Amino acid sequence: MKRRDFLKGCLIGGAAASLGVPSKSWAVGSFEGYPDAMGVLVDTTRCIGCRSCEAACNKEQKLPEPDVPFDDTSVFKEHRRTTEKAYTVVNRYEAKDGQKPPYRKMQCNHCNEPGCLTSCFVNAYTKTGEGAVIYDAKVCVGCRTCMVACPFNIPAYSYSSAFAPVVKKCIFCYHTRLKFGKPPACVEICPREALTFGLRFDLIKMGHERIRETPDRYVDHIYGEKELGGTSWLYLSRIPPEQIGLDETVGNEPIISNVKEFLGMVPMVLTIWPALFSGIHLLATRNKDHGDAHHNHSEQEDGKK
Amino acid sequence: MQKRGFWLAGLMVILFLASVPGTSRGITVPDNVTLHSQSKLYEPFNFPHAKHILLVKECSYCHHHTTGTLEQDPNCIRCHRNSSETKVVSCRGCHQSDPFSAVAIKEKNKKIYHLDKPSLKAAMHRNCIDCHEKMKKGPIACQACHVYTKAGAAFYNTGEFAPKNKPAKGGHGGH
Amino acid sequence: MKKLIASGAKTVDSPQKSPGRNWTIMEKLFLGLTLQQYIGQAIRNPLNWIFGIIFAIGIPIILGRFLFGLSWVTHSSNDYPWGLFLAFGLFGMVPLSSSGFQLGTACEVFGRHDLEPIERLGLLNGLLGYFFAVVYLMIDLGQPWRLPYPMAVAFGPASVLFLVAWHVSTYLSVQIAEVSVSFFEWIGFPIGIRAIRKITLGLTVSGIILSTLHQGALGALFTYAPGKVHPLWYSSSFQWIHFFVSSIPGGLCMVIAVSTIASNTMSWRFDKRFRDSLDRITISLAKGASMGLATYLTIKLLSIAHDNKWGYFMTGYGQWYLVEIMIGVIVPMFLLAYAIHHNKVTLIRFGAFLVVFGIFLNRLNTAYITFNWKLSYREIPHWREVAISITVYSIYIVVYRFIVYRLPIFYQWRTQEELAPAYATETETEIEAKALKNAEAAAS
Repeated sequence: MKRRDFLKGCLIGGAAASLGVPSKSWAVGSFEGYPDAMGVLVDTTRCIGCRSCEAACNKEQKLPEPDVPFDDTSVFKEHRRTTEKAYTVVNRYEAKDGQKPPYRKMQCNHCNEPGCLTSCFVNAYTKTGEGAVIYDAKVCVGCRTCMVACPFNIPAYSYSSAFAPVVKKCIFCYHTRLKFGKPPACVEICPREALTFGLRFDLIKMGHERIRETPDRYVDHIYGEKELGGTSWLYLSRIPPEQIGLDETVGNEPIISNVKEFLGMVPMVLTIWPALFSGIHLLATRNKDHGDAHHNHSEQEDGKK
Repeated sequence: MQKRGFWLAGLMVILFLASVPGTSRGITVPDNVTLHSQSKLYEPFNFPHAKHILLVKECSYCHHHTTGTLEQDPNCIRCHRNSSETKVVSCRGCHQSDPFSAVAIKEKNKKIYHLDKPSLKAAMHRNCIDCHEKMKKGPIACQACHVYTKAGAAFYNTGEFAPKNKPAKGGHGGH
Repeated sequence: MKKLIASGAKTVDSPQKSPGRNWTIMEKLFLGLTLQQYIGQAIRNPLNWIFGIIFAIGIPIILGRFLFGLSWVTHSSNDYPWGLFLAFGLFGMVPLSSSGFQLGTACEVFGRHDLEPIERLGLLNGLLGYFFAVVYLMIDLGQPWRLPYPMAVAFGPASVLFLVAWHVSTYLSVQIAEVSVSFFEWIGFPIGIRAIRKITLGLTVSGIILSTLHQGALGALFTYAPGKVHPLWYSSSFQWIHFFVSSIPGGLCMVIAVSTIASNTMSWRFDKRFRDSLDRITISLAKGASMGLATYLTIKLLSIAHDNKWGYFMTGYGQWYLVEIMIGVIVPMFLLAYAIHHNKVTLIRFGAFLVVFGIFLNRLNTAYITFNWKLSYREIPHWREVAISITVYSIYIVVYRFIVYRLPIFYQWRTQEELAPAYATETETEIEAKALKNAEAAAS
């Protein structure tokens, strides 16, 4: 290479390198949630299991008639889960310290980096700037991977529909309320304000403040602050979260962290395998008349019997 | 000498009268309050204020520090040591009915201390019912105060609106 | 069919029926028999009676699934969204269909042309396995007509399933192209044969790329639910490697198993080359499979050590895990090693069936049986779900049989030039001799 070309190359290379100065955003490894994302703080010490939230959700989302009236408390005999007819349910748990049994409202937690969204191969889920994780039924194929991926077992499927089954889950009343800055129906109707609506960042501060002011009332933990990368629906509890049905083994990493290793490996294989196997082919078949091998063996072995 | 004494007596009467609490001065204390903000779902019902005054006696027990004897809770005294009565004594004076509206959240003054103030509905339910539970007297259950309107019964799918076809347990209703 | 051949029927293994007259497509379809002979041999086959019963029950249920929805054939479980259709039909069949890329690579890339007699069986096994895995998927999907959506309508590229969708559809095309050579030979379309031959190496290399990734991706799917699969079957870092490595012995042993079944039920279709080389090839495949099994066992133990899960062996699930590893990996590994060393082909075949069973069991365990291990109940599949799974598998077997009865998979298509058969099935003189012998035996 001529000296001039070498110097030219260095100059161009140096210029290119200086242009691509990595900005701070390149270094960020986690998503803390959109800055204006809303959330709900669920204070299970205030809930009395009146099920008004279930009724409000049912009416707001135009869900079918329930199996049992909403003021019927016999449903607490067993633990329920969300279904295609019920985007939210309240369950009663046992208090091992002899105090009143705690109740917990269960619904989509609207995670910052949801497993459902990550696993959907038609991008049917969206985490909106307001914090809601919403679902587009128009592209859903019905593979139900989101139901497998949700660590809280929230999405339900409308199996009863023969021709247009879709996923059913809480959408934070996005289309009717959250988009316009209004709180979801369940929050609005709760008579004891067990559900507090506000900016997620503010709710976390508020939750910690509640714990600080009345430490005997709460376990010092806001469930959902860090779990699985953070969720928009946060929980306060008098007893350990495990005892009110909140899985404490989920860890603080979003679901996608488990999959990133494999996903990162994919383009590597796509790049390396062709060269690797073409190379092996060349090594294995050098000097061997590979072309002839495709012809009928009978030609080579004619007359042999 | 009589003229000065007269003015002194008059001043003392005025001062004496001024020190009498406002309630005794004749500001209206309702005997009964009709609660009807949930009028769509429930019939309005009566809150017997007079009865509670006789039972509870101390106004500040329900009305925090807006009236009655000053709150002695160390957590409150820190700031409210010298608080006097407020102009509006009822719950509505401090507790908003709509704390989560877009406007309320946007305009929330984050510098005040009482950021975590419950809404009017929550304040009343928690203040009233928690005391009833402690005293083991007074209505606790929802329907003990709230009688359903037709719309309310429909909302809760109860009473005449209760689901008629209860599907058999089993079949294909999965978990 | 054997009887018919013994009595003089000629198998279709070349374009020519008799000098100057070629087989027609219809005749090829009917195996060169008259309609009466064909139906006769079909009715005489007791396996067909079993299939008849299965189809009589199963096909209406499959139709019912599409008319009445999934709630009619499953328990409509929100906790167990994936049932037998996926756990058995998709996750189970796909690793066993890895024979396509394995035999293709062995012959075309590594140059092991001694394995060529079984290469086509490997490719066909791969194609049919993937094709029917997609059939099971179509039955399972909520809206199966939307299957092309991730390809054309809405993309979710961060999803592992997106990769699976793209790869399986691409790989199916690759496999169809590879198997099409036999089809073109059979129907007589030499242009197609030449065209495919030109791109065979490219097809094979793309086959191995796609297969590595989607065999692994099916495993990576479970990393979306780290808490739901039992820790002994789950590995956060290596799930995809487990699935990929286990597919190696799975595919090879599936080919051994299929060739065993074929040699016991339809050896009339084999040509001399195949019949003579089958035992030797079986041993070669077994060598590959046993290396795969040894590797698989090692990485399984490594990943348990990696996350320090030894304590789970003391639980009920731990014992079930040991059963699966014993039957599916350890016992066949030793059997194959012994049998390879002592040239015992029957033992190899038995070991191969154990491996196939072990793969099915492993996928069923990961996707269904130990799934949701933290929940208090296990789901037992709906009987209609079981019926459909059996029916579709029977259709797979019938389609498999249909193809290998006809296409040059177990035999080589003799071209026009070499009708003086160098690798014929039994020659006419041999058939006569046999008939004479039978007559003599009957007389005495």
